[in-house]
Amino acid sequence: MNKVLFFAHLRDAVGEESIEMEANGKTVAEFKQQISETYDIQKLDTVMVAINEEFAPDSEVIQEGDIIAFIPPVSGG
Amino acid sequence: MTDRYSRQILFSPIGIEGQDKIRSKHVLIIGAGALGSGNAEMLTRAGVGELTIVDRDYVEESNLQRQQLYTEQDVKQKLPKAAAAEKRLREINSDVKIQAVIGDANPELLAQIAQGKDLIIDATDNFETRLAINDISQKMDIPWIYGACVGSYGMSFTIIPGKTPCLNCLLKTIPMQGLTCDTAGIISPAVGMVVSHQIAEALKILVEDWEAIRTSFVSFDLWRNQYSSIKMSKAKDESCLSCGTNPTFPFLELGNLTKSTVLCGRDTVQVRPPKRLDIQLEELSKQLMTIGYEVKGNPYLISIETENKEQRMVIFKDGRALVHGTKDLIAAKTLYNRILG
Repeated sequence: MNKVLFFAHLRDAVGEESIEMEANGKTVAEFKQQISETYDIQKLDTVMVAINEEFAPDSEVIQEGDIIAFIPPVSGG
Repeated sequence: MTDRYSRQILFSPIGIEGQDKIRSKHVLIIGAGALGSGNAEMLTRAGVGELTIVDRDYVEESNLQRQQLYTEQDVKQKLPKAAAAEKRLREINSDVKIQAVIGDANPELLAQIAQGKDLIIDATDNFETRLAINDISQKMDIPWIYGACVGSYGMSFTIIPGKTPCLNCLLKTIPMQGLTCDTAGIISPAVGMVVSHQIAEALKILVEDWEAIRTSFVSFDLWRNQYSSIKMSKAKDESCLSCGTNPTFPFLELGNLTKSTVLCGRDTVQVRPPKRLDIQLEELSKQLMTIGYEVKGNPYLISIETENKEQRMVIFKDGRALVHGTKDLIAAKTLYNRILG
Protein backbone atom coordinates (compact mmCIF):
# COMPACT_ATOMS: atom_id res chain seq x y z
CA MET A 1 0.00 0.00 0.00
CA ASN A 2 0.97 3.62 -0.41
CA LYS A 3 0.17 6.69 1.59
CA VAL A 4 -0.91 9.62 -0.59
CA LEU A 5 -0.87 13.22 0.68
CA PHE A 6 -2.74 16.14 -0.86
CA PHE A 7 -1.92 19.82 -0.50
CA ALA A 8 -3.93 23.05 -0.94
CA HIS A 9 -7.09 22.82 -3.06
CA LEU A 10 -6.38 19.16 -3.89
CA ARG A 11 -7.01 18.35 -0.27
CA ASP A 12 -10.45 19.97 -0.55
CA ALA A 13 -11.15 18.17 -3.83
CA VAL A 14 -10.25 14.77 -2.36
CA GLY A 15 -11.90 15.57 0.96
CA GLU A 16 -8.99 14.26 3.02
CA GLU A 17 -5.42 15.21 3.79
CA SER A 18 -4.18 11.69 3.12
CA ILE A 19 -5.44 8.38 1.84
CA GLU A 20 -4.11 4.82 1.54
CA MET A 21 -4.01 3.51 -2.00
CA GLU A 22 -2.28 0.80 -4.01
CA ALA A 23 0.15 2.46 -6.43
CA ASN A 24 2.97 -0.09 -6.47
CA GLY A 25 4.38 -0.56 -10.00
CA LYS A 26 2.60 2.42 -11.55
CA THR A 27 4.46 5.36 -13.05
CA VAL A 28 3.82 8.82 -11.64
CA ALA A 29 1.96 9.74 -14.86
CA GLU A 30 -0.30 6.66 -14.58
CA PHE A 31 -1.02 7.37 -10.94
CA LYS A 32 -1.88 11.02 -11.70
CA GLN A 33 -4.35 9.77 -14.28
CA GLN A 34 -5.91 7.37 -11.76
CA ILE A 35 -6.27 10.06 -9.08
CA SER A 36 -7.71 12.47 -11.60
CA GLU A 37 -10.38 9.92 -12.62
CA THR A 38 -11.18 8.65 -9.12
CA TYR A 39 -11.70 12.11 -7.67
CA ASP A 40 -12.85 13.89 -10.80
CA ILE A 41 -10.03 16.43 -10.64
CA GLN A 42 -8.94 18.14 -13.86
CA LYS A 43 -5.44 19.18 -14.78
CA LEU A 44 -3.08 17.17 -12.64
CA ASP A 45 -0.41 17.41 -15.36
CA THR A 46 1.22 20.48 -13.82
CA VAL A 47 0.87 19.30 -10.22
CA MET A 48 4.24 18.41 -8.70
CA VAL A 49 4.62 14.92 -7.32
CA ALA A 50 7.08 13.99 -4.60
CA ILE A 51 7.94 10.44 -3.61
CA ASN A 52 9.40 10.16 -0.11
CA GLU A 53 9.99 13.92 -0.07
CA GLU A 54 11.91 13.92 -3.32
CA PHE A 55 10.72 15.36 -6.67
CA ALA A 56 9.48 12.55 -8.92
CA PRO A 57 9.30 12.95 -12.73
CA ASP A 58 6.29 11.51 -14.62
CA SER A 59 8.29 8.43 -15.65
CA GLU A 60 9.30 7.35 -12.14
CA VAL A 61 7.88 4.00 -10.98
CA ILE A 62 6.22 3.95 -7.56
CA GLN A 63 7.39 1.25 -5.13
CA GLU A 64 5.59 -0.55 -2.29
CA GLY A 65 5.44 1.66 0.80
CA ASP A 66 6.42 4.90 -0.98
CA ILE A 67 4.78 8.02 0.39
CA ILE A 68 3.42 10.11 -2.47
CA ALA A 69 2.61 13.81 -2.19
CA PHE A 70 0.66 15.96 -4.65
CA ILE A 71 1.77 19.59 -4.50
CA PRO A 72 0.00 22.04 -6.79
CA PRO A 73 2.01 25.14 -7.74
CA VAL A 74 -0.08 28.28 -7.20
CA SER A 75 0.15 31.67 -8.84
CA GLY A 76 -1.05 34.19 -6.24
CA GLY A 77 1.23 36.86 -5.01
CA MET B 1 23.21 56.01 11.66
CA THR B 2 26.18 53.73 12.27
CA ASP B 3 24.00 51.65 14.56
CA ARG B 4 21.40 51.05 11.93
CA TYR B 5 22.50 47.58 10.80
CA SER B 6 24.26 46.55 14.03
CA ARG B 7 21.90 43.65 14.85
CA GLN B 8 22.16 42.26 11.35
CA ILE B 9 25.96 42.61 11.44
CA LEU B 10 26.06 40.76 14.77
CA PHE B 11 24.48 37.80 13.01
CA SER B 12 27.70 35.99 12.17
CA PRO B 13 26.86 34.62 8.67
CA ILE B 14 26.42 38.28 7.61
CA GLY B 15 28.96 40.30 9.62
CA ILE B 16 30.52 43.59 8.45
CA GLU B 17 31.72 42.02 5.24
CA GLY B 18 28.24 40.69 4.46
CA GLN B 19 26.65 44.06 5.20
CA ASP B 20 29.06 45.73 2.74
CA LYS B 21 28.09 43.17 0.13
CA ILE B 22 24.37 43.77 0.74
CA ARG B 23 24.98 47.51 0.26
CA SER B 24 26.79 46.89 -3.04
CA LYS B 25 23.94 44.90 -4.62
CA HIS B 26 21.01 45.81 -6.87
CA VAL B 27 17.82 43.74 -6.56
CA LEU B 28 14.86 43.68 -8.94
CA ILE B 29 11.40 42.90 -7.53
CA ILE B 30 8.71 41.97 -10.06
CA GLY B 31 5.31 42.90 -8.63
CA ALA B 32 4.33 45.28 -5.85
CA GLY B 33 1.33 43.45 -4.44
CA ALA B 34 1.41 41.46 -1.20
CA LEU B 35 4.67 39.59 -1.82
CA GLY B 36 6.25 42.62 -3.47
CA SER B 37 5.42 44.88 -0.51
CA GLY B 38 6.82 42.46 2.03
CA ASN B 39 9.96 41.67 0.06
CA ALA B 40 10.65 45.33 -0.72
CA GLU B 41 10.24 46.42 2.87
CA MET B 42 12.55 43.73 4.27
CA LEU B 43 15.25 44.41 1.68
CA THR B 44 15.01 48.16 2.22
CA ARG B 45 15.34 47.72 5.98
CA ALA B 46 18.24 45.29 5.44
CA GLY B 47 20.11 48.08 3.61
CA VAL B 48 20.32 46.76 0.06
CA GLY B 49 22.17 49.20 -2.21
CA GLU B 50 19.57 49.59 -4.93
CA LEU B 51 16.07 48.30 -5.41
CA THR B 52 14.01 48.39 -8.59
CA ILE B 53 10.35 47.51 -8.24
CA VAL B 54 7.96 47.10 -11.17
CA ASP B 55 4.16 46.86 -11.16
CA ARG B 56 1.32 47.57 -13.61
CA ASP B 57 -1.55 48.02 -11.13
CA TYR B 58 -2.84 50.74 -8.77
CA VAL B 59 -3.75 50.52 -5.06
CA GLU B 60 -7.30 49.42 -4.20
CA GLU B 61 -9.13 49.05 -0.92
CA SER B 62 -9.09 45.23 -1.00
CA ASN B 63 -5.24 45.38 -1.02
CA LEU B 64 -4.92 46.98 2.41
CA GLN B 65 -5.58 43.78 4.40
CA ARG B 66 -2.18 42.35 3.37
CA GLN B 67 -0.17 44.73 1.18
CA GLN B 68 1.87 46.29 3.94
CA LEU B 69 3.30 49.32 2.16
CA TYR B 70 -0.05 50.94 1.34
CA THR B 71 -2.44 53.24 3.15
CA GLU B 72 -6.03 54.48 2.81
CA GLN B 73 -4.58 57.66 1.33
CA ASP B 74 -2.96 55.67 -1.49
CA VAL B 75 -6.36 54.08 -2.23
CA LYS B 76 -8.09 57.49 -2.34
CA GLN B 77 -5.47 58.79 -4.74
CA LYS B 78 -5.53 55.58 -6.82
CA LEU B 79 -1.72 55.69 -6.78
CA PRO B 80 0.13 53.19 -8.94
CA LYS B 81 1.51 50.53 -6.61
CA ALA B 82 5.09 51.04 -7.76
CA ALA B 83 4.87 54.80 -7.04
CA ALA B 84 3.20 54.33 -3.63
CA ALA B 85 5.81 51.68 -2.76
CA GLU B 86 8.69 53.97 -3.75
CA LYS B 87 7.33 56.78 -1.55
CA ARG B 88 6.95 54.52 1.51
CA LEU B 89 10.30 52.74 1.01
CA ARG B 90 12.14 56.09 0.86
CA GLU B 91 10.58 57.02 4.19
CA ILE B 92 11.78 53.75 5.68
CA ASN B 93 15.39 53.98 4.49
CA SER B 94 16.79 56.99 2.67
CA ASP B 95 20.13 55.20 2.09
CA VAL B 96 18.58 52.83 -0.41
CA LYS B 97 18.25 53.92 -4.03
CA ILE B 98 14.69 53.02 -4.97
CA GLN B 99 13.52 52.98 -8.55
CA ALA B 100 9.84 52.46 -9.34
CA VAL B 101 8.82 51.23 -12.78
CA ILE B 102 5.12 51.55 -13.59
CA GLY B 103 4.52 49.06 -16.35
CA ASP B 104 3.66 45.56 -17.47
CA ALA B 105 6.53 43.14 -16.82
CA ASN B 106 6.47 41.63 -20.31
CA PRO B 107 9.64 40.02 -21.75
CA GLU B 108 10.70 43.27 -23.43
CA LEU B 109 10.54 45.32 -20.23
CA LEU B 110 12.06 42.47 -18.20
CA ALA B 111 15.05 42.27 -20.55
CA GLN B 112 15.64 45.99 -20.11
CA ILE B 113 15.32 46.22 -16.34
CA ALA B 114 17.00 42.92 -15.45
CA GLN B 115 20.27 44.11 -16.99
CA GLY B 116 22.97 44.39 -14.34
CA LYS B 117 20.84 43.17 -11.42
CA ASP B 118 22.29 40.76 -8.86
CA LEU B 119 19.01 39.06 -8.00
CA ILE B 120 15.39 38.95 -9.14
CA ILE B 121 12.58 38.38 -6.65
CA ASP B 122 9.30 37.04 -7.95
CA ALA B 123 6.23 38.74 -6.54
CA THR B 124 3.95 38.36 -9.56
CA ASP B 125 0.49 36.85 -9.70
CA ASN B 126 0.74 34.70 -12.82
CA PHE B 127 2.86 31.91 -14.33
CA GLU B 128 3.34 33.57 -17.69
CA THR B 129 5.44 36.33 -16.13
CA ARG B 130 7.22 33.82 -13.87
CA LEU B 131 8.28 31.71 -16.84
CA ALA B 132 9.51 34.86 -18.61
CA ILE B 133 11.50 35.78 -15.47
CA ASN B 134 12.82 32.21 -15.47
CA ASP B 135 14.07 32.54 -19.08
CA ILE B 136 15.60 35.99 -18.45
CA SER B 137 17.34 34.58 -15.36
CA GLN B 138 18.90 31.76 -17.39
CA LYS B 139 19.78 34.00 -20.32
CA MET B 140 21.43 36.69 -18.16
CA ASP B 141 22.74 34.36 -15.45
CA ILE B 142 20.87 36.07 -12.59
CA PRO B 143 19.46 34.04 -9.68
CA TRP B 144 15.74 34.41 -8.95
CA ILE B 145 13.45 33.35 -6.12
CA TYR B 146 9.99 31.96 -6.88
CA GLY B 147 7.32 32.68 -4.30
CA ALA B 148 3.55 32.28 -4.40
CA CYS B 149 0.60 32.01 -2.07
CA VAL B 150 -3.15 31.60 -2.04
CA GLY B 151 -5.53 31.03 0.88
CA SER B 152 -3.34 29.79 3.74
CA TYR B 153 -1.00 27.98 1.34
CA GLY B 154 2.37 29.17 0.11
CA MET B 155 5.56 27.98 -1.54
CA SER B 156 9.03 29.09 -2.53
CA PHE B 157 11.99 27.81 -4.51
CA THR B 158 15.37 29.36 -5.25
CA ILE B 159 16.64 29.12 -8.81
CA ILE B 160 20.34 29.60 -9.49
CA PRO B 161 21.37 29.23 -13.15
CA GLY B 162 23.84 26.39 -13.66
CA LYS B 163 23.26 25.01 -10.17
CA THR B 164 19.58 24.23 -9.55
CA PRO B 165 16.72 23.04 -11.75
CA CYS B 166 14.67 25.92 -13.18
CA LEU B 167 10.92 26.58 -13.02
CA ASN B 168 10.42 25.20 -16.52
CA CYS B 169 12.04 21.88 -15.44
CA LEU B 170 9.31 21.60 -12.80
CA LEU B 171 6.29 22.80 -14.71
CA LYS B 172 6.93 21.93 -18.41
CA THR B 173 3.86 23.94 -19.42
CA ILE B 174 2.11 27.01 -18.06
CA PRO B 175 -0.40 25.88 -15.46
CA MET B 176 -3.62 27.61 -16.38
CA GLN B 177 -6.68 28.19 -14.25
CA GLY B 178 -4.43 28.26 -11.20
CA LEU B 179 -6.03 29.47 -8.00
CA THR B 180 -5.55 33.18 -7.44
CA CYS B 181 -5.99 35.49 -4.45
CA ASP B 182 -9.02 36.99 -6.19
CA THR B 183 -10.78 33.65 -6.52
CA ALA B 184 -9.67 31.70 -3.43
CA GLY B 185 -8.76 34.51 -1.03
CA ILE B 186 -5.55 34.99 0.93
CA ILE B 187 -4.59 35.56 4.56
CA SER B 188 -1.62 37.77 5.42
CA PRO B 189 0.37 35.16 7.42
CA ALA B 190 0.68 33.07 4.26
CA VAL B 191 2.14 36.14 2.54
CA GLY B 192 4.56 36.81 5.40
CA MET B 193 5.77 33.23 5.48
CA VAL B 194 6.55 33.22 1.75
CA VAL B 195 8.27 36.61 2.04
CA SER B 196 10.41 35.31 4.92
CA HIS B 197 11.51 32.30 2.88
CA GLN B 198 12.31 34.54 -0.09
CA ILE B 199 14.27 37.13 1.90
CA ALA B 200 16.26 34.55 3.86
CA GLU B 201 17.42 33.18 0.50
CA ALA B 202 17.93 36.69 -0.88
CA LEU B 203 20.26 37.58 2.00
CA LYS B 204 22.27 34.38 1.47
CA ILE B 205 22.63 35.25 -2.23
CA LEU B 206 23.52 38.90 -1.54
CA VAL B 207 26.25 37.96 0.96
CA GLU B 208 27.33 35.17 -1.45
CA ASP B 209 26.90 32.39 1.11
CA TRP B 210 26.19 29.83 -1.64
CA GLU B 211 26.62 26.84 0.68
CA ALA B 212 23.68 28.01 2.77
CA ILE B 213 21.17 28.17 -0.12
CA ARG B 214 18.08 26.02 0.42
CA THR B 215 17.98 23.61 -2.51
CA SER B 216 14.59 22.13 -1.61
CA PHE B 217 11.14 23.28 -2.74
CA VAL B 218 9.28 24.41 0.35
CA SER B 219 5.50 24.55 0.70
CA PHE B 220 3.17 24.93 3.64
CA ASP B 221 -0.45 25.37 4.62
CA LEU B 222 -0.72 27.46 7.76
CA TRP B 223 -4.41 26.67 8.36
CA ARG B 224 -4.22 22.91 7.78
CA ASN B 225 -0.82 22.66 9.49
CA GLN B 226 0.96 20.97 6.61
CA TYR B 227 4.64 21.54 5.86
CA SER B 228 6.74 19.98 3.17
CA SER B 229 10.25 20.28 1.87
CA ILE B 230 10.97 18.44 -1.36
CA LYS B 231 14.47 17.58 -2.55
CA MET B 232 14.82 18.79 -6.12
CA SER B 233 18.09 17.33 -7.43
CA LYS B 234 16.24 14.88 -9.71
CA ALA B 235 14.16 17.67 -11.26
CA LYS B 236 16.99 19.09 -13.38
CA ASP B 237 16.13 18.30 -17.00
CA GLU B 238 18.98 18.46 -19.52
CA SER B 239 16.48 18.76 -22.38
CA CYS B 240 14.76 21.74 -20.71
CA LEU B 241 14.32 24.55 -23.25
CA SER B 242 15.03 27.19 -20.60
CA CYS B 243 18.09 25.78 -18.80
CA GLY B 244 19.10 22.59 -20.64
CA THR B 245 22.00 22.01 -23.02
CA ASN B 246 20.31 23.79 -25.97
CA PRO B 247 18.16 26.54 -24.51
CA THR B 248 15.74 28.48 -26.75
CA PHE B 249 14.11 30.57 -23.95
CA PRO B 250 10.58 29.79 -25.20
CA PHE B 251 8.80 32.14 -22.79
CA LEU B 252 10.50 35.19 -24.23
CA GLU B 253 8.92 34.51 -27.64
CA LEU B 254 5.95 36.67 -28.46
CA GLY B 255 3.99 33.76 -29.96
CA ASN B 256 3.85 32.07 -26.55
CA LEU B 257 2.35 35.06 -24.76
CA THR B 258 -1.14 36.10 -23.80
CA LYS B 259 -2.37 38.63 -26.35
CA SER B 260 -4.53 41.62 -25.59
CA THR B 261 -6.11 43.64 -28.37
CA VAL B 262 -8.55 46.55 -28.36
CA LEU B 263 -11.66 45.71 -30.33
CA CYS B 264 -12.40 48.54 -32.69
CA GLY B 265 -15.00 51.05 -31.55
CA ARG B 266 -16.32 48.85 -28.78
CA ASP B 267 -14.53 50.06 -25.65
CA THR B 268 -13.54 46.42 -25.21
CA VAL B 269 -10.28 44.53 -24.93
CA GLN B 270 -9.91 40.91 -25.97
CA VAL B 271 -7.45 38.84 -23.93
CA ARG B 272 -6.34 35.60 -25.54
CA PRO B 273 -4.15 32.97 -23.83
CA PRO B 274 -1.21 31.52 -25.81
CA LYS B 275 -3.06 28.26 -26.39
CA ARG B 276 -6.67 27.10 -26.19
CA LEU B 277 -7.76 26.21 -22.69
CA ASP B 278 -10.63 24.09 -21.51
CA ILE B 279 -12.05 26.11 -18.65
CA GLN B 280 -14.45 24.40 -16.27
CA LEU B 281 -16.97 27.24 -16.40
CA GLU B 282 -19.32 25.78 -13.83
CA GLU B 283 -16.54 25.36 -11.27
CA LEU B 284 -15.16 28.84 -11.94
CA SER B 285 -18.57 30.46 -11.69
CA LYS B 286 -19.21 28.74 -8.33
CA GLN B 287 -15.88 30.06 -7.02
CA LEU B 288 -16.63 33.57 -8.24
CA MET B 289 -20.10 33.52 -6.70
CA THR B 290 -18.70 32.41 -3.34
CA ILE B 291 -16.56 35.53 -3.24
CA GLY B 292 -19.42 37.83 -4.12
CA TYR B 293 -19.25 38.36 -7.86
CA GLU B 294 -22.54 38.42 -9.68
CA VAL B 295 -22.09 35.74 -12.31
CA LYS B 296 -24.26 35.23 -15.37
CA GLY B 297 -23.62 32.59 -17.93
CA ASN B 298 -24.47 29.71 -20.18
CA PRO B 299 -22.56 26.56 -21.17
CA TYR B 300 -20.25 28.60 -23.43
CA LEU B 301 -19.31 31.62 -21.36
CA ILE B 302 -19.65 33.42 -18.07
CA SER B 303 -19.96 37.12 -17.45
CA ILE B 304 -18.92 39.04 -14.32
CA GLU B 305 -18.74 42.68 -13.26
CA THR B 306 -15.93 44.40 -11.35
CA GLU B 307 -16.64 45.76 -7.86
CA ASN B 308 -16.99 49.33 -9.11
CA LYS B 309 -19.26 48.17 -11.98
CA GLU B 310 -16.99 49.95 -14.44
CA GLN B 311 -15.93 46.83 -16.31
CA ARG B 312 -17.55 43.60 -17.30
CA MET B 313 -15.53 40.52 -18.24
CA VAL B 314 -16.87 37.70 -20.35
CA ILE B 315 -14.85 34.48 -20.16
CA PHE B 316 -15.22 31.84 -22.86
CA LYS B 317 -14.62 28.13 -22.42
CA ASP B 318 -11.46 28.30 -24.58
CA GLY B 319 -9.85 30.76 -22.15
CA ARG B 320 -10.50 33.87 -24.23
CA ALA B 321 -11.99 36.86 -22.47
CA LEU B 322 -13.60 40.13 -23.45
CA VAL B 323 -13.19 42.98 -21.00
CA HIS B 324 -15.89 45.59 -21.66
CA GLY B 325 -15.68 49.17 -20.45
CA THR B 326 -11.98 49.75 -21.13
CA LYS B 327 -9.49 50.32 -23.92
CA ASP B 328 -6.58 49.83 -21.56
CA LEU B 329 -4.71 46.66 -22.55
CA ILE B 330 -2.84 46.39 -19.28
CA ALA B 331 -5.91 46.93 -17.10
CA ALA B 332 -7.66 44.18 -19.05
CA LYS B 333 -4.74 41.76 -18.66
CA THR B 334 -4.54 42.60 -14.95
CA LEU B 335 -8.20 41.70 -14.46
CA TYR B 336 -7.75 38.53 -16.53
CA ASN B 337 -4.77 37.35 -14.44
CA ARG B 338 -6.63 38.07 -11.23
CA ILE B 339 -9.43 35.72 -12.16
CA LEU B 340 -7.60 33.08 -14.20
CA GLY B 341 -4.06 33.23 -12.77
